[in-house]
Amino acid sequence: MSNSASVEEVAARWLLRGEEASWSSEDQIEFDKWLNSSMEHKIAFWRLEHGWRRADRLAALKPLSHAPGPRRPWLTSAAAVPLAACLILCVLIVLRVDFARHKTYVTEIGAREIVPLADGTQIELNSGTTLRAAVKGQVREVWLDEGEVYFEVVHDPARPFVVHVGSRTLTDLGTEFSVRRNDAHLEVVVVSGRVQLDNEPIASSSVPVTLVRGDIATVEGASTLVVPSSVDRIDDLLSWRHGLLVFDQSTLADAASEFNRYSRKKLLITDSTIARMRISGRFESSNLDGFIRLLHLAYGLNASDEGAVIKISE
Amino acid sequence: MVDDEVVKEWFVQEILPLEPSLTRFIRRHCRKAADVADIRQDVYVRIYAAAREQLPRRAGPFMFTTARNHLINCAKRAQIVSIQYVADLEASSSAVDTVTPDRTLSAQDEFRRVRAGLERLPPRCREVVLLRKIEGLSTREAAMRLHVGIDTIEQQMVHGMRALVDFMLGGSGRIRRPGKSERSLKKERNK
Repeated sequence: MSNSASVEEVAARWLLRGEEASWSSEDQIEFDKWLNSSMEHKIAFWRLEHGWRRADRLAALKPLSHAPGPRRPWLTSAAAVPLAACLILCVLIVLRVDFARHKTYVTEIGAREIVPLADGTQIELNSGTTLRAAVKGQVREVWLDEGEVYFEVVHDPARPFVVHVGSRTLTDLGTEFSVRRNDAHLEVVVVSGRVQLDNEPIASSSVPVTLVRGDIATVEGASTLVVPSSVDRIDDLLSWRHGLLVFDQSTLADAASEFNRYSRKKLLITDSTIARMRISGRFESSNLDGFIRLLHLAYGLNASDEGAVIKISE
Repeated sequence: MVDDEVVKEWFVQEILPLEPSLTRFIRRHCRKAADVADIRQDVYVRIYAAAREQLPRRAGPFMFTTARNHLINCAKRAQIVSIQYVADLEASSSAVDTVTPDRTLSAQDEFRRVRAGLERLPPRCREVVLLRKIEGLSTREAAMRLHVGIDTIEQQMVHGMRALVDFMLGGSGRIRRPGKSERSLKKERNK
C-alpha cells in the first residue's frame, strides 16, 4: 500500500500518453507491465479512465471552440460597442434595484451551501449563516453578519479579498480559511496561506496580526488570541464542511450548543453537573436523535421532548 | 478466477458509481481527511481481489462490509482507538446510508456535471483540459499553442484530469497533490 495520490499521478500520465498518436507497441508493453504489477495500479487506472471518458461530454462545447479560458480577447471588435452600451444599461438598471450593491446569502438552520463568487472564489456557508457580498470590478468585500463560512479565495494582489466581521476585518494574502461569528465572538481558522486581521477602523495603536497556516485566532471584544494548532485540530474544526461534529473532551453543554446550531429543536441541559460532563466522538450534525440515543446508552441520560426543546436529565 | 475484463466491467459499472457513499462512509470514521483517498484505494484493492475470485452478488452491501472491516483492522492496528469508535463501526453496518448510485444520470446532467467540475479547476488547468477534450490537441501541440514546455502541459493535464475525475465521481474536484498524506509518511518511516 502506498500513497494513492502518487499512484494516481502515474496512472494519469499513462492515460494521457495512451491517447497520443505517438503511442508505440513498446509503450504498450511498458504500460501493461506497470498495470499488471499491482492491483493498486489497475484500480487507479480503471477509475481514472472511467471518469475521464465521462468528461468526453465536454466535446459538446465544440461550437464555441474558443470558449472559456483567460486568453479570450474580450470585446475587441467594433460590433461589441452596442453590446457594451447595452450591458452598461443593464448594470445601471440592476444597480438601481440593488442599490446596496450587495448580494445576500442566507442558509437556513441545518442547511449548508457552496456558492461560487464572480471572481472564482468559493465560499461554503454553514447552518444559520448570513453573508453579504460585493464582488464586482475592483472590489472584493464580504460582510459576515452571522454564522460560519469557509473561504477558498482566488488570490489577486491588485484586488484584496476583505472579510468584515463586526469591528474586525480579515484581508486574504492568498488563502483558504474559515470564519465563525457568534455575536461578538469571532474565530478564524487558517488552512493555507496567510490572512491579515485588523481592527476597524484601523486605530493607530492597533497592530494588524498576520495569521498563517494552522493558526486559530479567537477574538473576544478587544482581545485576540492566536494559537498555532495541529492538523487534527484544524480538521476537527472544519468537519462541519462534511456535515460532521467532532468533540474531543468537550463539555456536554458545548456539544449541545453545537448541535443546536443545526436544529430547530434545541437541546436543553438544566443540571450543571451533567452540563460539565466530558464527551468525545464524531457525529453527524443532522443526527440529533442518534446523539440523544448515545447519551442514553453510554451515560444513562434521559431525554424528554417538550416541543421546541428536548430536555436532557439524569 | 474471473476474467479481468469481466471484473473491470463489474467494477466500473457497480462499484465506481457508489464512490460518493463510500467516501462519505470512510470520512465519517476516519480522523484525518488526508487519509480518506488512501483508505478508499485500499478498500478498492480488497474488493478487486475478492471479485477476481468470484463476483459478489450485490455490490453495495459487499463494498460497505469490506470498508467496515478494513477500517476496524486499521483502528486495531493503530492501538490508540477508543472502544466507542469500534462500537460505532460495528453498529454502522445497519446504518449505512441508502445507496443512491448516479448510474442513472441523464446525458444532460452528466454534461452539467462536467462543466461544474471544469469551473472548479484553476484557469490554467482548465484551459489545458479544454484544449485536449474539445480541440483534441496532443500534449506537444498544446505546449506549442501555449508557448510552454511539454512537461508543464503534462503536469497541468495530470492535475486537471485527476481533479475532474474526482468531481465526476462525486468528490470535491480539488487538486490533490501526492505526498501530503500523513498516514503514508508514517508508513514510510515505519518501513
